[in-house]
Amino acid sequence: MGLRGVLLRYAARRPRPLVVPVPGFTAVRLAAEAELRHRGWRPALSPAEADLLVVCGSPGHGLARAIDTVWDEMPGPRARADALDPSGVLAALDAPSADLADEPTQLHDAATRTSFTAEEPEDHAAMGHDSMSHEGMGHGMGHAGMDHGDMGGHGGHEGHGGGHEHHMMGAPHGLAMAGRAPDRDGLKLDVLHVPFGPVLADWPAGLRVTLTLQGDVVQAAEVETLGGGAGGERFWDESNVPAARLDSLARLLSVAGWTGQAAQARLLRDEMLDGRAEPARIEKFVRRTRRSRTLRWMLQDVRLGDFNAWTRMSDLLAGISGETPPARHPAPLGELLVGVDVAAVRLIVAALDPETEGAEVTHV
Amino acid sequence: MQPFVAALALLGLAAALVCAAYAVSAFTALPGSPVAGPYLSGGLPAEHAVSRYHVRWYVVTMVFLAFDMEMVFMYPWALVVTSVGPKAVVEMFGFLALLLVGVLYAWREGAFRWA
Amino acid sequence: MSESVLVVPLLVALLAFAAAAFDAVLAASAAGSPGAWRVWDAPLREAARLLVRQRRNTLAADRLLRRTGIAVLPVAAVLAAAVLPLGGADAASDSSIGIVWFNAAEVAVWAGVWLAGWSVNSAYSLVGGYRIIAQGLAYELPHMFALITVGVGAESLRFADAVSAQHGLWFAVQMPVAFAVYLLSALAMAFWGPLASPVGRDLAGGAMAELSGADRLVFLAGRYAMLAVAAAATVPLFLGGGAGPLLPAWLWTLVKTLAVLAALVWAGHRVPVLRMDRFMGFAWTVLIPPTLLQLLVTSLIAL
Repeated sequence: MGLRGVLLRYAARRPRPLVVPVPGFTAVRLAAEAELRHRGWRPALSPAEADLLVVCGSPGHGLARAIDTVWDEMPGPRARADALDPSGVLAALDAPSADLADEPTQLHDAATRTSFTAEEPEDHAAMGHDSMSHEGMGHGMGHAGMDHGDMGGHGGHEGHGGGHEHHMMGAPHGLAMAGRAPDRDGLKLDVLHVPFGPVLADWPAGLRVTLTLQGDVVQAAEVETLGGGAGGERFWDESNVPAARLDSLARLLSVAGWTGQAAQARLLRDEMLDGRAEPARIEKFVRRTRRSRTLRWMLQDVRLGDFNAWTRMSDLLAGISGETPPARHPAPLGELLVGVDVAAVRLIVAALDPETEGAEVTHV
Repeated sequence: MQPFVAALALLGLAAALVCAAYAVSAFTALPGSPVAGPYLSGGLPAEHAVSRYHVRWYVVTMVFLAFDMEMVFMYPWALVVTSVGPKAVVEMFGFLALLLVGVLYAWREGAFRWA
Repeated sequence: MSESVLVVPLLVALLAFAAAAFDAVLAASAAGSPGAWRVWDAPLREAARLLVRQRRNTLAADRLLRRTGIAVLPVAAVLAAAVLPLGGADAASDSSIGIVWFNAAEVAVWAGVWLAGWSVNSAYSLVGGYRIIAQGLAYELPHMFALITVGVGAESLRFADAVSAQHGLWFAVQMPVAFAVYLLSALAMAFWGPLASPVGRDLAGGAMAELSGADRLVFLAGRYAMLAVAAAATVPLFLGGGAGPLLPAWLWTLVKTLAVLAALVWAGHRVPVLRMDRFMGFAWTVLIPPTLLQLLVTSLIAL
């Protein structure tokens, strides 16, 4: 008992937060990121890694469900911080980090945990139906009998031919085995339906992309936005374009795995919003990013329409320096994702960085 | 035999350390082991993730196997290359050249470009 | 012999700790946290945090495979370290085929990461596991050619002989291509930095996305240990072992190891992650020809 308490207190001094952005509450996210940086708390990437869930803003219904799902996936000790406005971030972070150090609280939480079961129809209903904007269904090759409606309940049973030993058992643990569909090489292979977002690091707030995958190749993609709740407002406007560009770049650089440079972009973004950015440092950042051959190599074949992720990044960098980049014509996200692999999906989404902030106005 | 005894001892020691980590956590961890759904950024699974995978790089595995077999010859070759002399070098690189032709063919067929 | 069996795991653990601490400090300093050096104890706090965490299972996970895969990482790292000379002292296991042994132990990592990724029954982890195999297929051949080049240069597969063969000139200078390729594959052995796509940020941690508690602790410890051992092997293979002026051999070995380790950790923050479909083509068509050329040159010199 004693040892556990000591370890809990020692560990709670520096928790690993999983930060959830909410559309319309960008200011809260920026304040939370700055505070975490100040405290030296390193953000986590998944609920298994995190012990602190930091929700930045008031989520709408669909997003709230997604956040609750992630909360259920976090093992104890765990704590949740809900910050509704930038000034409340400090207080919102302090109480839960005290909870993390408190053994009785955590023991109580651990004792009341229930296990995940796949058979909850009301949860499945949450998967696609309270989304608000469907921008372009992907139309991949050969996903007959695999459209999104099949995702709820046990629809995955279609395309459920023999040949797979587990199929004999039907749905082990209440969850179907993967169905099959023809792939581009004319083989019949297992198909997975895998959502990316909305609770995902370095991902646009509220965006959910549901991929139909064979291996890690996208056969079809569906894009939707889960909005924020009441009280949200647009943060990025004409007055802070360079900072908005840096925010996008930070996500793109982070997804590309250049973590040092991504951190630099976030730092410069915050300095710019405070009006204390040094032009020399911004220039150095832009120069260094442009010069990276590895980044260019990884981005230039990622197609976004009549341009690619590398040109998009150069445009963002130009936007920071105050230049006006040429007009580009991105193809619809759902179409771009078909036929690429998961690594490219993340780069495409991060490069286009779809605007989700307007979403909360029409939907609560 | 001695080197292998030492290696075996280290194997046992490393395994014991791993077990110790699990044993300590069995005492210090909060009770209970709830089953979590797979992390899908807040989504729920539509099916089990374990599935027959589309191994896009299977042609590369074939080319790799050819080379890997070749490596088995190459380690002993490295020991005798000076004592056998130029003949050993000519033979090995002749063999490697043959394999490289295979790589060239695979490359031309686009085996290394997938996605 | 018997003491070094005890010393090896201790040294590996200390080096792994140093790597993890340096990584935390670099991350904090890149993020602009005030007093970044203060987070040197991050690995200790992380270990404490993971030891108190509830055991976590994912739906229909294969626990045996998961534990096996995870345990493979630290065990493989220690076994790979067994054949490395400890400065002036002999290796714990002074095997005449040390280089082959090292190679074999390091390849076990693929199996470990793949099992960890597959066993948790989660799509992100599955894709992460898939990537380690693709990565292995890409880096392993240039890596093996680099090791064999050292073997040819030393006319032996024993690490100690490789060290004594470098009395005139370090292999890093004699065979620069092999050295560069080895450094790249050292990153791949620990799936670190530019070769971290199996545990990539784009997959929320990939093969380790679902690991928590002791599972995650052992996995991370194994990963840092592998990075440390990969760095430590550079010293006898390419940097002349304990050779150097003034200082004793063991200290030189330590200094060189720490320098290489620091460079590898630093590279993890400074270089974007390589996408496997791009790296595969690069490894086969751009890396292999120069490593073979290097091997040819070295064999001709050895004649």
